[in-house]
Amino acid sequence: MSKLPPVIIDNGTGYTKMGFAGNTDPQFVIPTAIGLPNQSRYGIASKRGIEDLDFHIGDEAVANSKTYGLNYPIRHGQIENWDHMERYWEQSIFKYMRCEPEDHYFLLTEPPLNAPENREQMAEIFFESFNVQGLYIAVQAVLALAASWTAKNSQQTLTGTVIDSGDGVTHVIPVAEGYVLGSSIKHIPIAGRDITAFVQQLLRDHGETSIPPEDSLDIARRIKENYSYTSHDMAKEFLKYDADPVKYYKSFDATNSINQQTYTVDVGYERFLAPEVFFNPELVSSDFLTPLPEVVDNCIQTSPIDTRRGLYNNIVLSGGSTMFKDFGKRLQRDIKRIVDGRIKKSEELSGGRLQAKPIDVNVIAHKKQRHAVWFGGSIMACTDQFYQFSHTKAEYEEHGPSICRHNRVFESLA
Amino acid sequence: MILLEPHSFVLEETLLSRFTSEKPEVVDIKLVDFDNVIYHLQSSPEQRSLLTLSVEMTYFNEVLAYGAEEILAREYGDYMVPPTNSQHNISLQFDLEKLPEDKAALAKHVSLLKRNVLASPFLRAFEYWESQQEGAGPLMATHYRENEAIYVQAQQDRVTVIFSTLFKEEVDRVLGKVFLQEFVDARRLASIQNAPQVVYSSREAPLEIRHLPGLRQDESVGYVSFVLFPRHFADPEAREKTISQIQLFRDYLHYHIKCAKAYMHSRMRTRVKEFLKVINRAKPDRVTSMSEKRTATGRYFRPQFRQSGSPQQVEGEW
Amino acid sequence: MSNTLRPYLNAVRSTLTAALCLDNFASQIVEKHNVPEVEAGNSKEVLLNPLIVSRNENEQVLIESSVNSVRISIKIKQADDIERILAHQFTRFLMLRAENFVILRRVPIKGYDISFLVTNFHTEQMYKHKLVDFIIEFMEEVDKEISEMKLSLNARARIVAETYLSQFV
Repeated sequence: MSKLPPVIIDNGTGYTKMGFAGNTDPQFVIPTAIGLPNQSRYGIASKRGIEDLDFHIGDEAVANSKTYGLNYPIRHGQIENWDHMERYWEQSIFKYMRCEPEDHYFLLTEPPLNAPENREQMAEIFFESFNVQGLYIAVQAVLALAASWTAKNSQQTLTGTVIDSGDGVTHVIPVAEGYVLGSSIKHIPIAGRDITAFVQQLLRDHGETSIPPEDSLDIARRIKENYSYTSHDMAKEFLKYDADPVKYYKSFDATNSINQQTYTVDVGYERFLAPEVFFNPELVSSDFLTPLPEVVDNCIQTSPIDTRRGLYNNIVLSGGSTMFKDFGKRLQRDIKRIVDGRIKKSEELSGGRLQAKPIDVNVIAHKKQRHAVWFGGSIMACTDQFYQFSHTKAEYEEHGPSICRHNRVFESLA
Repeated sequence: MILLEPHSFVLEETLLSRFTSEKPEVVDIKLVDFDNVIYHLQSSPEQRSLLTLSVEMTYFNEVLAYGAEEILAREYGDYMVPPTNSQHNISLQFDLEKLPEDKAALAKHVSLLKRNVLASPFLRAFEYWESQQEGAGPLMATHYRENEAIYVQAQQDRVTVIFSTLFKEEVDRVLGKVFLQEFVDARRLASIQNAPQVVYSSREAPLEIRHLPGLRQDESVGYVSFVLFPRHFADPEAREKTISQIQLFRDYLHYHIKCAKAYMHSRMRTRVKEFLKVINRAKPDRVTSMSEKRTATGRYFRPQFRQSGSPQQVEGEW
Repeated sequence: MSNTLRPYLNAVRSTLTAALCLDNFASQIVEKHNVPEVEAGNSKEVLLNPLIVSRNENEQVLIESSVNSVRISIKIKQADDIERILAHQFTRFLMLRAENFVILRRVPIKGYDISFLVTNFHTEQMYKHKLVDFIIEFMEEVDKEISEMKLSLNARARIVAETYLSQFV
């Protein structure tokens, strides 16, 4: 009998991606939300019974939010409420994935700079409550790098800069040979949610009154996902639209969720303005004004000097908010411009005596970008080494949760 | 969620999304169910609209002897195709262009596949009872997991189902004992007097299967026997329900052992928090009351770092 | 609280209060070292006689004192398999979080379930009587918690069994 595939669970702030290794897409992408009964947050006081099994997770929790209070156990990528998280996993495994954890290896993900204590807690839950056979906890950014190996122009290294933009927050994370360079990580407070809100605002501004207010956010999200693309130059794009509106304006047919009437929404500038938010943050934010290419450049410039070439050479996109058409090309062009400008300046300053070797800038976009972290995990868990790198139940029994401080991929304390 | 559901949620969802997707995509998905069942969903390389679901089951050869074939033919006859790969035991093929109207119902029906296959020994036993033969029927063993098995035997007036289950850990074994003892005791309750009788023994195998070779008889094994009476399976509707429930007994038990452990974890976390409060009382408060004052808006007001050049500060210090 | 528990805890409290008279004491064996003598056990003359406060053979407290440190080990009541497992799980859970508890030892002394080590540095930085309070409260709560966990486990198991079996009715 062939071995049962490992289970990959990627718990993100907004959404949890889970599925079996070897597949190209996660089987479930559900909100990381848990709905608990409203009347009593069961505490140590109520001990007779199994109230703690009365809860919903994911979409069901959202659907039942009238009678069940919604809780989000993960904040900013870090698990905040372990009780809720443990129960979230309980139901993910038994109801959604429907597998016996005793028979499987598990691959979990953690954000960069996760405290080792958190990792120990994860191990405690998975080995003690669920008796899993083996566990591997991988850093999300590293998995995103691994996921990019399927891209055509990939270098297949574990050195690179990961731009991870999800629903809540965007990170720029430099990774050198599998090590996350913690001190150079940059955060950008702009992500999918802000872009959707921006599109919604634009629609309101150009007078799309036919959109019912309760659908407006959803419509904005769909327009963002289906019509957006990244332009070369914002000003030129405006001119293009004004010169030939018929060619560029699109119309979007939507149905009112309440009375089922159809209506049409005109989609105009928001097509290229939505992703433009990353390049001109002043569109949505008044206090964060650094464009993404500059943040990436800063991030790489603060990394150790011997890694910088590799970091420029392999800039990997991950997460749903990097899915805009030609997003990678624009980013590559802008970063290249910054880098070339710097080299040129240094050549001028040296009076032409120094000739720098040009730096290759490569932004890698691939098909699995949306769930890149999960996909990277799926690839990794299919390799034979995965079983060697995982911590097994026997080792846990022997040494306790502290085994998770050690990562066997690097043979050192991670 | 107290009870587990008989159908595989992940299989249902996956199938449904393929059935309803507008254009057929290339599909190659592997899924798993309880008790070492592996599903493999693939689209045919030549024709994308052909979707093949192959199933791998360790105990398929055993249930084959109990008439699984007939059940499969009855339930999924229209979709059955011979498996192409020697690893696969069952293959169903769906043509996405010729699906019935109610795609959700089909997905749900297919997601019950494992349940239907595993129903065969039970159905066989119930049929034996119906035939009113003298003496006990054959003992049907299904080794659904490594070192764990279900035995089904029909008697003249009842059907006995014996589960052997393995507790890998000391903690599980003790918790399992508590749970199983409650299964035995629960029947005393008036409202569930009619439930099947449950007998539980650890170490010692029950009489019915004691003659079998290779039984494990140590602390880590538990034997649970359910005695099903005609009222549980005479009526066709009750019969289906009984089968769905009883199959999942092992998973149900282990699921709840795990939930109990999770619950204990959360209790212990609360307790640790309380103990920490107690020990932190032993630490003297840092003298902060003087330097921390709240402003009207509720913010803290902290004195700035002393600047060396500031004459005021120098005055104060000396 | 039962009548016998009170005197038992009182005895522990008085003994502990008396034992926690600790002084800063540098090692006599290694220069510039200052180790808890009760753990090192190298200089016999600074160790005091260990004593056991016992309620019955399953509930005992071992107090080993020395000039600069006291080690307190507790045996928790374990009537059956379940209590044994629960006590083991619980103490393990606590000991994994030992750094937060300052005085908790990561490994218990052989024959006991959980051990604490109080050094003169602890008594200098923290209130001595509150430390004693903590240990007494711990002893009280641990028994209570384990019996509560056992009860809730049984209640849980009952509901689980009833729900399952009522499916057949």
